[in-house]
Amino acid sequence: MSQRKSYAVGTGLFIVLGFAALAYLATQTTSVANSHQGVSYTVDAQFANVGQLKEGAPVKVAGVRVGQVQSIALEPGKDVADVTLSIDKKYAQIPTDSVATIYTSGLLGDQYVGVQFGGAKTYVANGGHIGLTKSTQPLEDMLGKFLGGGSAADAIGGTYSVTANFTNVGALAVGAPVKMAGVAIGSVASVKADPVKLNALVTMDIDKKYSQIPDDSAAAIFTSGLIGSQYVAIQPGGSPNSLKDGDQLILTQSAVQLEDLIGKFLVSGSPNSGSNAGNNGNNANNGPSNSPAGKH
Amino acid sequence: MSAQVGRENVVLQSLAQIGACGLFLLRILAALPRSLRHAGETVRQLWFVGAMSLIIIMTCGLFVGLVLGLQLYYVLAIFGGTSATGSVVALAIYRELGPVVTGLLFAGRAGTSITAEIGLMRATDQIAAMEMMAVDPIAYVAAPRFLAGLIAMPLLCCVFCAMGIFGGHLVGVSWLGVDNGTFWSNMTANVDLWKDVINSVIWKSAAFGAVISLIAVFQGYTTAPTSEGVAYATTRTVVASSIAILALDFVLTAFLM
Repeated sequence: MSQRKSYAVGTGLFIVLGFAALAYLATQTTSVANSHQGVSYTVDAQFANVGQLKEGAPVKVAGVRVGQVQSIALEPGKDVADVTLSIDKKYAQIPTDSVATIYTSGLLGDQYVGVQFGGAKTYVANGGHIGLTKSTQPLEDMLGKFLGGGSAADAIGGTYSVTANFTNVGALAVGAPVKMAGVAIGSVASVKADPVKLNALVTMDIDKKYSQIPDDSAAAIFTSGLIGSQYVAIQPGGSPNSLKDGDQLILTQSAVQLEDLIGKFLVSGSPNSGSNAGNNGNNANNGPSNSPAGKH
Repeated sequence: MSAQVGRENVVLQSLAQIGACGLFLLRILAALPRSLRHAGETVRQLWFVGAMSLIIIMTCGLFVGLVLGLQLYYVLAIFGGTSATGSVVALAIYRELGPVVTGLLFAGRAGTSITAEIGLMRATDQIAAMEMMAVDPIAYVAAPRFLAGLIAMPLLCCVFCAMGIFGGHLVGVSWLGVDNGTFWSNMTANVDLWKDVINSVIWKSAAFGAVISLIAVFQGYTTAPTSEGVAYATTRTVVASSIAILALDFVLTAFLM
């Protein structure tokens, strides 16, 4: 009988431990706020493009979660998305001229609906409608203007080497492609720190058949895609003389921190106003116009 | 029993096994109300398949969490996303690794011993003796073990998941230096209570528990009453349970997600 009792105690302990683990999983590793569904009211909004917005995505005011996306449907007969927002009853005072915008949390995060309050004295009622909306921001379109993309360099027969100094090479690795007009023409042979100039010295091997590159061309470090690897882009200049083995490219544009870039874009609203991060090439995008031929 | 059979006989035999297994499940379910009289036996089996499996489940959960934290950290570092380590560890463990690895361990640790025990009962005519004494062997032997497996698996899976999270935290935060707050906030932002914890951890592991203990009890109950037969039955329990877990995992994932 005592043996049976010890079984019972051990089994009881096991069950308690199991439920304790379940309680731990349910409370410590999930957010109760995510699934909380109190008394709420619904509001409509029409968007031209909802992007990756999903049902259940949060609705935020000033970054604070006030509700969630209840449903996304296509407006019958029109190419606009009808999004129904379910908003907590205690946040009932949303002005009627508020703006609903679809945002992305972080670079690769999920999308959510942000609501900016307007100044109207009347509030959106249950079943009401938010008229002013801004659709999802296509980050890819925005960044596509800056970033090239493409494949790695082919295996190359005869090459000649060219050097360039950069203040910041970012994550440029040996073997990364060198591209001109988006086509791979060579590869990075070495990336070293220059002990005298205190910057990075990059040696590039360029295919012999591309021997007509003007010697005032500019070199820039770009990123392929949002999270892709980095490569060196050669932007041809206008000099009649061609690059030779051992030459140095004077005009360079260093790797741009994606964060800076996006911040700058979002603030200024124009890709052209971003200042140049290079050490001495002040406008690599239109190299031939204003710079002397750079030869070592 | 292990005589050579033609290829079509193998197919027919497997089909017959599956069919017999299904009918056996119905017999167990029919016997469940009667087995409540033997609740003490269910508790004893729960102790045996559940509590005694805790050590191996906890150890394996810890190591799965440790290695997951390590691997994911290095992969996520490529994309500069090490802050997502917590949520990816949690999602991987909850959705797949927790239920599946617990199921495989449970089949190896508890399923085999159930089969061997019942198989030996069969081989030594204890089951026949019970029938002689008007004790229903399904209600007294099979049903309590089935019930115990069904109850023990979700609990073991919860313990496994908790240990896995602990292991991932140990590697990610204490060793590789992911920020503690980021680790947890990222996890809580991405783990959904219903979809991940209830649907994946609880329902999946309960389904696995039912399948494993059904196969184990069935194989033991229908074994050839020889020492060789018991050995074959034990092997078949592990093989059939493993295949059933992995196949069922796919189906359940498709349904529950």
